[in-house]
Amino acid sequence: MTDKRPKVLVVDDAATVRLYHRTLLDNAGFEVAEAANGLEAVEAALSTAFDLFVIDVNMPKMDGYACVETLRSETVGTPAPVLMISTEDRPGDADRAYAAGANLYLVKPVDAERLARVARMLTAGIAA
Amino acid sequence: MNPLLAQFLAEAADLLSQVDEGLLELERDPSDPELVNEVFRAAHTFKGSSGLFDFPELTRLTHAAEDLLDAVRSGKLSLDSGMTDDLLAAFDLIRGWLAHVTTHERLPATAGPAGQSLIVKLRGPLGGEQATVNPDVAAALAGPVIDRAPDWLALFDPEWLEKTATWLSSTSATMRFVRFTPDQGCFFRAEDPLHLVSQVPALAKLDLIQPFEWPPAEEYDEYACLIGFALATRAARGELDYLFRYVPDQIEIVELNGDAIHRYVAGEEPPQPRADEAVVAAVAQSHTENLELARDAHAILAAAQRSLALEGSVSGVRLSAVARSVAAAAAALGVPVDTADPDVETLKAQVANLLTEVRPTPADAPPTPPPPPPAERAPVDRGRADDPGGQVGTRILKVDQEKVDHLMELVGELNVAKNGLTFLADAAEEEFGSRVLSRRIKDQYSGLHRIAEELQAAVMDVRMLPLSVAFSRFPRLIRDLSRRLGKTVELVTEGEDTMADKDVIEALGDPLVHLVRNSLDHGIETSADREVAGKPPAARITLTAVADGDAVIVEIADDGRGIDPAKVKHKAYEKGLISEEELETLTDSDAVDLVFRPGFSTADQVSDLSGRGVGMDAVRASVEKLGGAVTMRSQLGRGTSTRLRLPLSMAVTQVMVVSVAGQRFGIPVDLVVETVRVPSAELGRVLHQDVVVLRGEVVPVIDLARALDMPWTPDPAADRAILIVSMHGQRVGLLVEQFHREVDVILKPMEGLLAYADEFSGTALLGDGLVLLVLNMKEVLSLAARAQ
Repeated sequence: MTDKRPKVLVVDDAATVRLYHRTLLDNAGFEVAEAANGLEAVEAALSTAFDLFVIDVNMPKMDGYACVETLRSETVGTPAPVLMISTEDRPGDADRAYAAGANLYLVKPVDAERLARVARMLTAGIAA
Repeated sequence: MNPLLAQFLAEAADLLSQVDEGLLELERDPSDPELVNEVFRAAHTFKGSSGLFDFPELTRLTHAAEDLLDAVRSGKLSLDSGMTDDLLAAFDLIRGWLAHVTTHERLPATAGPAGQSLIVKLRGPLGGEQATVNPDVAAALAGPVIDRAPDWLALFDPEWLEKTATWLSSTSATMRFVRFTPDQGCFFRAEDPLHLVSQVPALAKLDLIQPFEWPPAEEYDEYACLIGFALATRAARGELDYLFRYVPDQIEIVELNGDAIHRYVAGEEPPQPRADEAVVAAVAQSHTENLELARDAHAILAAAQRSLALEGSVSGVRLSAVARSVAAAAAALGVPVDTADPDVETLKAQVANLLTEVRPTPADAPPTPPPPPPAERAPVDRGRADDPGGQVGTRILKVDQEKVDHLMELVGELNVAKNGLTFLADAAEEEFGSRVLSRRIKDQYSGLHRIAEELQAAVMDVRMLPLSVAFSRFPRLIRDLSRRLGKTVELVTEGEDTMADKDVIEALGDPLVHLVRNSLDHGIETSADREVAGKPPAARITLTAVADGDAVIVEIADDGRGIDPAKVKHKAYEKGLISEEELETLTDSDAVDLVFRPGFSTADQVSDLSGRGVGMDAVRASVEKLGGAVTMRSQLGRGTSTRLRLPLSMAVTQVMVVSVAGQRFGIPVDLVVETVRVPSAELGRVLHQDVVVLRGEVVPVIDLARALDMPWTPDPAADRAILIVSMHGQRVGLLVEQFHREVDVILKPMEGLLAYADEFSGTALLGDGLVLLVLNMKEVLSLAARAQ
């Protein structure tokens, strides 16, 4: 059964936000792992094939943009969907995320149902 | 408290101290970009998490602070001390709010105005607060869209609705309305709807939804849940989603503002759906879920289009990622496309196609059902939500202090139980005459003893904290106080990595604060005075910690004016603390020690800083209570240093057990110099004081039984057992009935009525189940002095 659950990596430096996202995604049928910054996320992605990434923008050590770029680079090379979630809604931020390789840019706080819906939509092929 | 809020509060404490520390360092070195970044990030993270809760004032205030820090970070502003003050004040206020949240789970009622005045200050350097905040902020704070009023709003009392709407309009706030319809069989899944509802934070109104018609008595099933709840709350959407996370299909949440409620009450038409909703409504009408699904798919396609347009060369992994998301969105819309082996141009065309297809077309677009959720919903394992098992990276556990305390208590009990074995061994031999059994028990004991010792060491190690915990408040304290006093002071801390037991660190707090305040207030001169004295204008206070065997030494040194021994002696004489003879004979170092005498204060004027009625005598008393010692050295004109010596751990105390009048008492081994037995004839008497001569030194002897008011007549023929202890460098003999062994005990403070019995410093349980009272020697000696 656990094999069927799509794996998602939640990347955020705020433990509270991680707990929130973990809970929502866990309930939405995902197997959730966490990372506290971009660097940890990249390390995790090197050892585990995740089906989805939910990544915060502003983080210490390696921010969200750099993290997505690395995930898409040859180093990691994962085509798994990436949701970027940010506190900021400044013009240009979304484009930066898309340029880095994200698939959808959402602004915090993300509505719980929407997060679950988008996450399921983007991983529909995996669990089927 | 729900775990999400608990997590937030725990994280907030860490972030706030990071901010504080960073700001103070930043003031010293405003040019360090990494430092600014650190503080900014902590504030930013904090704001992000706060947004999950309904603490709008908190989010607004952190946002203002974050904006100011952002301006500093980007070099638009340079941080001055006024800004630092405002920022510190803002985070202080937040800390106060969080304390309130911890107990009440909501912000204090005064949060609005208090926060607002700080927001104005913080936004001052940014060109003042825009009359109506900036649009970004407003958008971020406005929260989610206002929903349409549902028909079940009729469940609420219309008068209450009207009042609420008016109030909401006046504050432009919103309220969440929840309808919770528990499943009839919910009790069989160990769900407790009532408990769930009782946990809704900031509940404004709760109504019960009863079945339209109750079943007749003979058909009534008391194990079926037939009722529902309608409630109104100020809690944020995130909190509600979190609370009802296991029953998402049983709840309906709408967000309404004053206007929406007004319109509902007045029976007006609900507002038209917004334009973009009309767009997708063509594809998936009627059902809101389909509509939202379509909207999300649309958003993903739009994002893909954006990605493809941004760069001429989207290729490799990035391209396949985009292709995959397009395929997923298309599948969700019910128009699957083949995106295998994509090339940019084909993909672009496909996306454009899909996006136009989603555009409003005549009603022929078939509303395709959304694909079923991935697999069947995996059963929810309730333990998982809080389980950090999947966390990558950090291997550090944060443990509640109480748990560690509890472990320590258990170790103490284990020790007691272990010691019981030695009594059992004695009994085996003496009462049952089996030496073999006795030895076996002793073997068993030594094995257990080794394990217990290791366990104890391990738990003690967990309790160890670095001294930096005790030092951390001083940068702020010194900064604030030195400014108020108009002095310039630099703080240097050394050895803050030195570890000591958490109880020692906690107990060290107050004496340290007192000593540092004293230094600032009395020791350190104003810059002008310092220059006259040929010293650098900035004074220096050094806090040093070093480990010394099983003790830790903390020293507070300043390079201030020092203590004038002549002045101290004179003052002590005036106050009647020393005799005229002592005035002449006291050495300088003894004179300095006079400041520890009760009733002594060197300051001519009592300032509002240190003159709070607590003197150096209180410092000495509290340090001695911890089993430590204080000494002070001073050089006139050069500075003063105070040295605190404390045991590394207070958890385990070694005591010497003695008995008096048939009762056993413990005396801390640190104080014991030796045990002697002298023939009763050798006890002398000088001026009503019993004395004994030991190696040419006359030592006063106190009858412990008399001091404790316990009648006892020693056998005149027997030798006297005298325990020699050392107090403040003075030797004193204690007449006791018998010496026993030394034991390691876990000292427990005196509680309840006994808390007033100052002559005891605590109690401990012995292996044979007896309670041992441990003496506070200082008090016992003064009791003895009074008894004579």
